[in-house]
Amino acid sequence: MEVNFRKIDIDQYDEDVLLESELYEPDPRDPAQVISDAKQKAATVRTSLAQGDIAGALSIVLEDAPYGPNVEEAKNLTLQTLVSILNSTKATEISGIVKSLSPDTQDTLMKYLYKGMAMPGWGDVSGSVLLGWHEKLTEAAGTGCIVRAMTDRRLV
Amino acid sequence: MSNTLRPYLAAVRSTLTAALTLEDFASQVVERHNKPEVEVAQSKEVLLNPLTISRNENERVLIEPSVNSIRLSIRIKQADEIEQQLCHKFTRFMMQRAESFVVLRRKPVKGYDISFLITNNHTDSMLKHKIVDFIIQFMEEVDKEISEMKLSLNARARVVAESYLAAFNS
Amino acid sequence: MSPPEVYSLAQTSITSHAFNADRSEVAVSLNTKDVTIFAREGHEWKATETLSEHDKIITSIDWAPNSNRIVTSSQDRNAYVWQLSPDPQTGRMIWKPTLVLLRINRAATHVRWSPNEDKFAVASGARAIAICSFDPEGDWWVSRLLKKPIRSTVLSVDWHPNNVLLAAGSADMKARVLSAYIKDVDKKPSPTVWGEKLPFNTICGEYTSPTGGWVHAVGFSPSGDALAFASHDSCITVVYPGGPAAFTIKLTSLPLLTLTWTTENSLVAAGHDCQPIVFSGSEGGWELTGSLDDPHSNKSSGGSRPGAPAAGRLNSAAFNTFRNADSRGISSGPGSAAAPATESELFTVHQNTITSVRLYAGVPGNVTQVSTSGADGKLVVWDVNQVTPASATGLAGKMAGLRI
Repeated sequence: MEVNFRKIDIDQYDEDVLLESELYEPDPRDPAQVISDAKQKAATVRTSLAQGDIAGALSIVLEDAPYGPNVEEAKNLTLQTLVSILNSTKATEISGIVKSLSPDTQDTLMKYLYKGMAMPGWGDVSGSVLLGWHEKLTEAAGTGCIVRAMTDRRLV
Repeated sequence: MSNTLRPYLAAVRSTLTAALTLEDFASQVVERHNKPEVEVAQSKEVLLNPLTISRNENERVLIEPSVNSIRLSIRIKQADEIEQQLCHKFTRFMMQRAESFVVLRRKPVKGYDISFLITNNHTDSMLKHKIVDFIIQFMEEVDKEISEMKLSLNARARVVAESYLAAFNS
Repeated sequence: MSPPEVYSLAQTSITSHAFNADRSEVAVSLNTKDVTIFAREGHEWKATETLSEHDKIITSIDWAPNSNRIVTSSQDRNAYVWQLSPDPQTGRMIWKPTLVLLRINRAATHVRWSPNEDKFAVASGARAIAICSFDPEGDWWVSRLLKKPIRSTVLSVDWHPNNVLLAAGSADMKARVLSAYIKDVDKKPSPTVWGEKLPFNTICGEYTSPTGGWVHAVGFSPSGDALAFASHDSCITVVYPGGPAAFTIKLTSLPLLTLTWTTENSLVAAGHDCQPIVFSGSEGGWELTGSLDDPHSNKSSGGSRPGAPAAGRLNSAAFNTFRNADSRGISSGPGSAAAPATESELFTVHQNTITSVRLYAGVPGNVTQVSTSGADGKLVVWDVNQVTPASATGLAGKMAGLRI
């Protein structure tokens, strides 16, 4: 007997259906623009890191981080840049750095920490480094910051 | 290795605390029903971003939050084939008795060894921080349990081998 | 300086509570399909009556102070208006239910009387809000539905003091201000900051928190010129449409579920963090002032440990155990197991999520006491002027800046 009709999701044809894209404001920037921004930031971050300005480098990379669909390349590049910052920070400095970040930057950092942990073994991602940052960030920004990583649909 | 256990459990604890912010929510798809939204997944606006906490490739926790329920899945460390076997038997034993554990799910989510389903009924009737404690304690115990079972299995194998081979010794 | 009055009404969760006009009785739903009315007897509350008509869990109760009517909403898709009237047989006064024709096909989630008590609004999971008014000819309550822009379950509603505008918070991450003008009931409203012409279902404003999250609670300020809403991203936002400006405060603790204004410049909100938090501000900006709960001093029973943080933060015994126990194998020894009996209590008055906070004493604009009820079965009355400063409670909320 034909049963495939039972698997049709009829709700998607409802004119009032809520679409994924309506749950957040789309990024106004063009994908090409986003990737060139990300590349530019990666370069700036390298200079900041060379000068030892980790908080500054973090703020740069987390500002206007790419989100939404069609910008996978920029997202990966940003994650890579971020991971390089995280890995080159001394464990004793983390606490001071996360406290100096703005609330918005803390939220974005939390999103990236979870993104990094979701892909262990990718690039230079190291579980222990991310966990160390996660602990310090939670101390500074509280569980509210984690809640925002869950609710914010602007996925990085 | 062991020095990453503490931040790992701390991260699970804080994420779980943040995710256990549940409320009663009747289904908006089926009338007069009230079911865990994370399982039915029919209204995407009441699901939140799933979060993963990983210690390394082999040990990770997936937390899938929603408005009235969360699903927490654990991938338990399995270093070799004996541990794989033991872990499989152990989690199977638990999941066959899922009712006794209240928050345990009968089947793990794909890619994980064991899953918990916590709904707003659980957070209403039990203290929330106790549920968090329970999960964390479980994660601590399960590793230890498996390594102990492995030790006693090896010890037993040795005894068996010795007494069997003793016959050829004389 | 009086400590908060704490009453343990039940072991189960209290989903909603509403006092009568002189605060001598309270109607609560104990997470069941019945409403229980408790009457005050000295320092105790005694259950006096049970109102049973719903056949699913009751989600919300509101008691109109002047007309002394109770309205209840439930997940069985119905709402009832309860009125005291004499029993035809015995002549005793009993609560008599009247069914409301809601015309919604999903759970009713929240209900509130309008300030004039001639209408009430029922929020529902049918992506609609039913505005109900009494039809004397048919001798029943009829409803009109606010439907158009709502895309998901409506979680809360609140009336503007002019009896016409309605704020609604819903699971599609939006807080909206809508007109609930009904020709036969309302006089033509005078213009407000929200708009001038207000036919039924006019959308006067639509707001969202930058980091998303369902809108759990909405509330108009006593003048009606500002709107506050709490969303699931642990943020509280205050909107001044006249400004136009919106202030968002990001909390470091868990999300808030309910709020009420105490004066034009302050409000009390509570939720998963188990303590009522006070915010204050004006059109120039908003900030978190502190908590009504003092987690350091109010634990009368149980061992109180100095310096312990409150709920929702990383406070438990097991956490401290992990802090000390870095390595495997020493975790299950005595003293390091997760739950010794003395550590089972949180350091807040409420032991679980606070689901509702309401005005208790004072008039809108000058509230002196608020009442809260929560999933731990407690009903607590707080003095709103006894604020423990934020620095002492470990709470923190940061202004995420102004949005125009």
